[in-house]
Amino acid sequence: MVNKNNEGILGGGVMKKAVYYINQFFAGIGGEDQADQKPEIREGLIGPSLAMNSMLDAEITHTIICGDNFMGSNTEEAVKTILGFLDNVEFDIFVAGPAFQAGRYGVACGTISKAVKEKYGVPVLTSMNEENPGVEMFKKDIYIFKGGKSAAKMRDDVKVMAAFGNKLLKGEPTGPAETEGFFERGIRAQIWLDNGPIAARRGVEMLVKKLNGEEFKTELPIPKADRVEIAAPVKDLTKANIALITTGGIVPVENPDRIQSASATRWGRYDISNIERLESGVFKTIHAGFDPAAADADPNVVIPVDAMKAYLKEGKIGKLHDYFYSTVGTGTTQAEAARMGREIVEKLKEDSVDGVIMTST
Amino acid sequence: MKLEMGNFHVQDVVFAEKTFYKDGILSINKEEALAFIKEDEHIIDLDLVIAKPGESTRIVPVKEAVEPRIRPDGRAVFPGVTGDLEMAGEGRLHALKGVSVLGVGMHYGSFGDGLIDMGGEGAKYTLFSQLINICIVAHTDEEYERFEQQKKNTAIRMASHKFAEYLGSTVKDLDPEELEVFEIEPVTKRDESVSKLPSVVLVMQPQSQMEELGYNDLVYGWDMNKYVPSFMNPNEILDGALISGSFMPASSKWSTYDFQNFPTIKELYKEHGKTINFLGVIMSNLNVSLEQKKRSSIFVAQMAKSLGADGAIVTEEGYGNPDADYIMCLAALEDVGVKTVGISNECTGRDGGSQPLVTLDVKANALVSTGNVSQLIELPPAEKVIGELEALARDGLSGGWSFDELLGSSVKEDGSIIMENNAMFCGDMIAGWSTKTMKEF
Repeated sequence: MVNKNNEGILGGGVMKKAVYYINQFFAGIGGEDQADQKPEIREGLIGPSLAMNSMLDAEITHTIICGDNFMGSNTEEAVKTILGFLDNVEFDIFVAGPAFQAGRYGVACGTISKAVKEKYGVPVLTSMNEENPGVEMFKKDIYIFKGGKSAAKMRDDVKVMAAFGNKLLKGEPTGPAETEGFFERGIRAQIWLDNGPIAARRGVEMLVKKLNGEEFKTELPIPKADRVEIAAPVKDLTKANIALITTGGIVPVENPDRIQSASATRWGRYDISNIERLESGVFKTIHAGFDPAAADADPNVVIPVDAMKAYLKEGKIGKLHDYFYSTVGTGTTQAEAARMGREIVEKLKEDSVDGVIMTST
Repeated sequence: MKLEMGNFHVQDVVFAEKTFYKDGILSINKEEALAFIKEDEHIIDLDLVIAKPGESTRIVPVKEAVEPRIRPDGRAVFPGVTGDLEMAGEGRLHALKGVSVLGVGMHYGSFGDGLIDMGGEGAKYTLFSQLINICIVAHTDEEYERFEQQKKNTAIRMASHKFAEYLGSTVKDLDPEELEVFEIEPVTKRDESVSKLPSVVLVMQPQSQMEELGYNDLVYGWDMNKYVPSFMNPNEILDGALISGSFMPASSKWSTYDFQNFPTIKELYKEHGKTINFLGVIMSNLNVSLEQKKRSSIFVAQMAKSLGADGAIVTEEGYGNPDADYIMCLAALEDVGVKTVGISNECTGRDGGSQPLVTLDVKANALVSTGNVSQLIELPPAEKVIGELEALARDGLSGGWSFDELLGSSVKEDGSIIMENNAMFCGDMIAGWSTKTMKEF
């Protein structure tokens, strides 16, 4: 049970409640030999939750303990059991760790924090050292604060989490990752630099530093490439069911799915089983990122239904899928594009499509 | 090349009996001004409205912004556009500072048009809220594009350039209150104290992606779609050799005002002779096909290399597809040993989780970020609207929409709005004004 009283969170009248997660070692149960310890929930404070309780503007009512091995080997059962405990507890925030460099503990903190966030929608916080494998696994899902290597840093690490947790509990705005101290989650937003230098000045200063071999800091670190492997070729085209997909915005003239002309979040599919080509005046493009004249005059130049129907007659392909799929690619974010792609692939699989010709603009 | 910019700092703009400038006050005879603008028969309905900083005024759809200027020697302010073709960048120029002429649609907007709030929360999103804006609010007979999302907006844009020159003529024979001098010696004739410094070029990529002529930025009146990169003196850009077009989504746009005052050029001038040797500008463009993009990047890299540039700043008038030109150009320069910095905005989506640029290359390791195209912005109603508010939702402005199942229309019945930053007029200030950056949250 979660305290869903958001007015409480924002208004700050009633004392907020928190739940804390630690492993068997920090609960004082034992080390490696006790790592198979099953999950248990205790009222009150144990180990690190004592320090957190003194800094957090919330009362830690319960501490959950679970052996790292148990969480690692019986993840599903462990998560289910812990979520079962929490169904009967009111809480506004969930804290796990800090896990320092302890790999299995880090993964456990990440696993349970993510599950709690997904089920209850409350803020979850944990802390790990950058070497901890849990960081890479969970940093996009939850706030993981940059922690020390060992328990000697316990108080410092808890303090950073508590300061951030207090902002969340009070509904105060939180700062960027580098200021707050958590690992980057891949979420980028614009901010105004207070009395900060204009972009032109920042650019010139960065270049002078780069030219002089001094250290400089890019404002946009280039993330690692997220590439999809090229699929294996279609074995026999004469038997294959081929679909046409476009980001060129070809739709029936009335745009029945109201696909946006830019920054699209919607897609549509349109029956072409009984037509030989896309006629001008029946189909058009609603894509705002290119000159529409040629596409409106002959939509087949963007999505070649006419040519594919000809191939079908010639027997070059086994079947042309009954529908073509369409959305708009201009300004469309990668995340939205990936989501639409997943949704479309699901439909294609249902209809046993073997291959896709994807056209842009 | 030596350009002397004589500045007149305008404190107020008023309608009066006579059009003249005195003691910081720009007075305009409205009837005469309207008659001048209406000399273009394509303008069939017209008003002139003054918008001042701090007012609760919303201006939309804004198509162009121009700083009023005059050349005392009679040459055109925009050579090849408002008058005969002459070389720009040298001699005397008089400018009315703190004001801009805005070209605003009386009714209809288009993809690249933007919005300006003069006061309140919305004012922080554009530079133009800090200027006194003299708005040409016009309706035209350009029926061929009336209901097109892409409009050339020729009549309104050209009126803005001509009217800026018209207003500039008020200070033609006056003594400037301040003189800014932009002087740069020929590349091979520089003092050793300068030439020993690291040599730097600025690479500009103005918007030129429409294959049909009439939508793109112009250089000396020439459509930059039909253009390959060439070497320019920075003074030419400050002096009206380039004008803005009518295609790029507003927040990523360089208006003509931006070209006339290009902050990145001015910052490079400040460092010239101190920490760098500013060689000049490689004026590139933005293209559609991969081959065109590559061709331009080859021209840029070769020119930078042949000029002996050690470093380059690359900046693009755009986001999305143009990112490919931007990143390719940065990588091409790094490949020939020219160290680069890029200045542009990002588009990370409403949740901030998307890839910031369309293409990425680890060679682009020094980037300045000026804002987020897709930041969602909600603003309360303004007391006064210049133009037509419904255009934001109805006419396909890049950051507006007529329908969304969660957010509804961009324009609410009470006049409040919800939009993406994309439609804030020059909102990401990529020319270099931006005090915004992007951070991980």
